[in-house]
Amino acid sequence: MIAFHERNRHEEVWLLLPWLATGRLSATEREIAEEHVRQCSTCEQELAVQHLMGKAFTEPDRVTYAPGPSFRKLMDRIDSEEGKEPARRPRTQPSLVARLSHVSLWRPPGLAWAASFLLLFGITGMMVQAYRWSQPIYRTHSDQTPELSVLQVALDRNIPIGEVEELLQKGGARIVQGPDATGVLGVTPVGVDTKSSAKQLRALAARLRTDPRVLWVQPLADEGTPAEQRAPDALEH
Amino acid sequence: MRGPNQTETNGTPVTAEPGYRSGASAARESELIAKIARGDRRAFEELYNLYHRRLARFLTRLTRRYDVAEEVINDTFWIVWKKAADFRGDSQPSTWILGIAYRRARNAFRSAARAGSQENLDVLLEPPTSDEPMRTEELRDWLVQALVQLPVEQRLAVELCYELGYSCEEISAIMGCPVNTVKTRLFHARAKLQKLLPVLGGSSPPTETRGGK
Repeated sequence: MIAFHERNRHEEVWLLLPWLATGRLSATEREIAEEHVRQCSTCEQELAVQHLMGKAFTEPDRVTYAPGPSFRKLMDRIDSEEGKEPARRPRTQPSLVARLSHVSLWRPPGLAWAASFLLLFGITGMMVQAYRWSQPIYRTHSDQTPELSVLQVALDRNIPIGEVEELLQKGGARIVQGPDATGVLGVTPVGVDTKSSAKQLRALAARLRTDPRVLWVQPLADEGTPAEQRAPDALEH
Repeated sequence: MRGPNQTETNGTPVTAEPGYRSGASAARESELIAKIARGDRRAFEELYNLYHRRLARFLTRLTRRYDVAEEVINDTFWIVWKKAADFRGDSQPSTWILGIAYRRARNAFRSAARAGSQENLDVLLEPPTSDEPMRTEELRDWLVQALVQLPVEQRLAVELCYELGYSCEEISAIMGCPVNTVKTRLFHARAKLQKLLPVLGGSSPPTETRGGK
């Protein structure tokens, strides 16, 4: 039992020997270790080795280390990470124009400009489209500017085709256009090749209007000559 | 291996830091750390100068490259600058700073090991035999080279104990491990060094230790 205790003590002190050599044991540990070393030649020998090692490690270096350059490197790093400008760098006062150029009111970022233009074009397009949608989707005969050398004639729909030819022949007219989907015909005076004179057209219109089967003739009687007439606002039946 | 910031002392004895573990020194360092927390650069420089030589020597011996040692020192003090406000004085300032340096050094060793940059680290001098008388200076040079044969944790424990003179409890706080682990690391380091250097192998260590790793 005593041998076991001493063996444990030997191992325990063996582990403490480096600190016994460097003088870094607590008072209690030091007392125990020194007592054991006095009785144990192995530990005494090892303690001498530990003294030698401690002395070797604390032997002054042949070189010394200058901290200045290393410290400057460290401060450069700290300054750069903290975003500080070097103190040596002079700061010049910017001109008034340069200062104003930084005001967003004077020079908004390019993206804001682009967005403004896009918005403007968009609004204009929407207004044009809204105007178109506000207009009626049908067209009238009066919407079209009539060909000035041709009279537009609307006849009673119930009269047969042979009767139409007879009516026109009697009036001295010949068909040059139509009939369109609504049955309106374009006629010119017989014997006139290309362009009828205003007088001839007026005479033909007067003749046709006398026939009760003719619903209307355009231009109307009170609109003057085709050359003078303007697009009427509405159909007249 | 000499770095750019190292200069010959021309044989002038450079005394080890006699008072860096003293109460007065610890109080002064705590005061400096409090000033650093308020952004005092002069205090920061003073603390840096207090530790630079100690850390440079410690780390250059471990890494055998001053540039690596300088990087670890500056990484350590960069953290000191950032975290000074967090230092509450629960431990000695030197234990706190060495703890940071220890972790940075360990990371540097691991990075170097991953990168395979072990150049010049495996070259050992022919160890003298126990028959030859050995000067302390020669023993120191040899020990420095023999250290690279040890695992990094054992190497750091050796330096913290013998060179920087920390107690077992202080090393435990610096390395963030139990006291018994420190004892065991040093036990294995001693055994290996004595095997590598017969002049140290005066006696055989006990075959077992009770300390847990």
